[in-house]
Formats: sequence, structure tokens, C-alpha cells
Amino acid sequence: MPARLDKDNELIQKAQRGDPHAFGDLYESHAPFIFRYLFAHLDSRMDAEDLTGEVFLKAWQSLPKYVEHGVPFLAFLFRIARNVLVDHYRQSNRLESTSPDELDGYKEEGNSEPVDIINNQMEHQKILRVLTTLRPDYQSVLTLRFISELSPEETAQVMKRSVGAIRVLQHRALAALRQEIEKTG
Amino acid sequence: MNIDRRIDKIVEIYIPAIKNGQETIDSILEKYPQYANALRNRLEVVFWLLNAKKNFEPRQGFISSSRQYMEQQFETIRPHGFWQRLSRRFTTQRWVFNIAAPIIVLLLLALVINSAILTARLSIPGDPFYSTKLLTEDIQLALTFDQVDKTDLYMQFSRDRTTEFVELVLEGDYELLPPAATRLETEIIASLHSINDMPLQNQAVEHPMILQLRETLTNEIFMLNMLKSTSPTTAYPGIELAIQVAQSGLMALR
Repeated sequence: MPARLDKDNELIQKAQRGDPHAFGDLYESHAPFIFRYLFAHLDSRMDAEDLTGEVFLKAWQSLPKYVEHGVPFLAFLFRIARNVLVDHYRQSNRLESTSPDELDGYKEEGNSEPVDIINNQMEHQKILRVLTTLRPDYQSVLTLRFISELSPEETAQVMKRSVGAIRVLQHRALAALRQEIEKTG
Repeated sequence: MNIDRRIDKIVEIYIPAIKNGQETIDSILEKYPQYANALRNRLEVVFWLLNAKKNFEPRQGFISSSRQYMEQQFETIRPHGFWQRLSRRFTTQRWVFNIAAPIIVLLLLALVINSAILTARLSIPGDPFYSTKLLTEDIQLALTFDQVDKTDLYMQFSRDRTTEFVELVLEGDYELLPPAATRLETEIIASLHSINDMPLQNQAVEHPMILQLRETLTNEIFMLNMLKSTSPTTAYPGIELAIQVAQSGLMALR
């Protein structure tokens, strides 16, 4: 983590001086985490991609504000992502995940077969359905820890709680998820 | 350390190895047979989540292909500086709202207070706003520091009490006449005291004030007598009380 922090700080300093390529590097290294977090809350891959871009544009615009606040860059990005997600929910008024029949038919790039795409989407919907039954804070902690792969410390910074509180929350969230999985089979 | 905390710690330690595929549920359970049941439950959920993670991965090549587009966006949209952020926070609409809203509230408040004062000024004893009228008079007196002006105000209030008295008689509220006469007496006494309290060097002003009070009281007595002659007998006791009060004031002035 310290190596990542050092690299981030160096790139942020360059970005602050107006270097878009430095921020591009930050985008490339952090966008997968943000995408996974967003996609774990959304039923559409395309929405998750759009919102990932929106998060980074907002982060770029708020770069001076980030420096003033002094929070780790990843935590800063996840806070923006949370706000973007809330805005998206408000706009689309679509808190419920859609059923597999309502998939947006988005075609992936690459060599994936249509059957694979549909299978992936159905699997995604299935997981999402289980996750969305959990309490929002349980869903957040599990998404951040296991889907976005943040450390307990990073998760604590994003959720504005202590590391101890995150460990307790994770413990309870895992127990709740276990029950939910058993219920749904 | 209790079992739950111990299990949490084991899970935490093995998460990286599980991610890398170096460990399986069984291989971990073999190392901790004493916690087998509880640990299995926890590990199964962790495996489920880490397995689910692959469904949330960005599509292949998305990040690198979108990077170029994002960099173009970064080029065109510059970060907001301090003043920009301040101006964004305080947009014209917000400024208008921040200024207009308190002004509208103040105007409405002034309108309501003004209406209440006007209604109170026209009220007579027995009206709901009459106490407000007396209160505004007290405030007016409290804010008047010049002795001459204060005496003038007392005389004005004395005339107002007489007018209220006449209105009460005309409306047939005879039961309210005795307290109204008492209020008239209070104002006349206050006027007399106010004239007495004037400094000696103000004698040039004091004399016209005495004349003015005398004229006021004479007019009041005349008006009350006229009222008595046109009123039913049931109103007499109240009116006579008011005439006595005014006459006493006139006597005191002499």
C-alpha cells in the first residue's frame, strides 16, 4: 500500500500542475476498483462504465479540493463514487435490480460469445439480487472489501469508520450473507 | 481471544492466498481442525464473494481504451480552482434566493406586524387586539425620552380613552364603562404628573401644555355630558364616573 500511495502522490502532484496524462495513469490504475464497486450496485454494465468516467471527471475537477482535505486518493475516489451512485439512483429512480428478462442487451467488445455474455449477465444479476437484500452498510463493506479489494484501512477511510468498526461490520455482513445464500440456495 | 475473532483473523490472513488460488477451503481447514465448522461457514461465504468478483470485472480492454477518451476530457475540462468552486457554490440563483428569501420573509413579517398594529389602533376595550394597543402605547412611551413629548403623548392617550369610552356607549357595552373610566383616570393622572415633572427652566413650554390639557379635559367633559343626554339610563353610572374623573383632573389642574 505505501508504494501505491507514493506513486499516487507523485501522479497527483503532476496532475495538479495540469498534466492530464498523469491523471490518465491514475485512471488506469484505479478505474477497475471504482468500476467493480459501481457495477456491484448497478444492473447495467454500460451505466457502470459511464459512471466510472463521471467519477474520474469529478475527481479531476475537484483535485484542488482533494489536496486541501488530505484523504488518500482511493478513499477520495470512492466517496465521489458513492455520491455519483446516489445521484444516479435519484435520476433513474431505479433502486431495484432488474430481472434477467430486462437485461439491456449491451454487447461486449472482444471475442465473447453471445451465450457467454448472457450467462455472465444472468450470474451478475443473481449475485446482485443476493447482495441487494443485505443492509446498505453490509453491502458496502462486502463490496469494498471483496469486490473492490480494498484493505480494511482503506475501507475504513471510505466509510468514515474505524478499522475495528469495519472488522465488526464485515463479520456481521458475512454472517448475514451466509444466511441469505442459504435462503436462496 | 474468542472464536469469532480468531476465525476473522484466520480469514483475513488467508484472503490474499485464496485470491491467488494458493489455498482452498479444505487446505485451510486442515490447518485449523479445531475451528472446522465455524471456519467452513465463513470461508464458503468469502469464496462465494471472491468468486462473484469475476462477474464485476470491467470488460477486457475497457480501461485502456477509455483512458484516451478520458485524457481528452481532462484536457478540455480544467480542475476547479478556489474561486471557481466558490462561484459554483454561490450561483446567481443561489445569491438571488439567499437575498430574496429573507427580504420576502421580512416584508411579510412587516406586513403582518403593521396590520396587527393598525387593527390594534382601531380596537376598543373588549376587542382581542386591545391589549396589543395598550402594549404599543407603553412601548411608544418607553421610547420617548423628551418630557414635553411624553406629556403630549399622555394627553393624546387621554383623548383616545375618551373616544373609546364614547364608542363603548354607542355600542351598548355598558358593563365595560367602569374599567374604561379607570383607564381614563390613569391617563389624566399620568398627564398631570408629567407636567409636574417638567424642569423649572421649561416653564415656557409648561404653560401651553397646561392650557392644552385644560382644553382637552373641558372638551372631554362636554362630550361626555352630551353623550349622557343621548344615552339610556343604564349607561349613566359609567358616564358619570368618567365625567367625575375628568372634572377631578380639571380641578387638580387649577
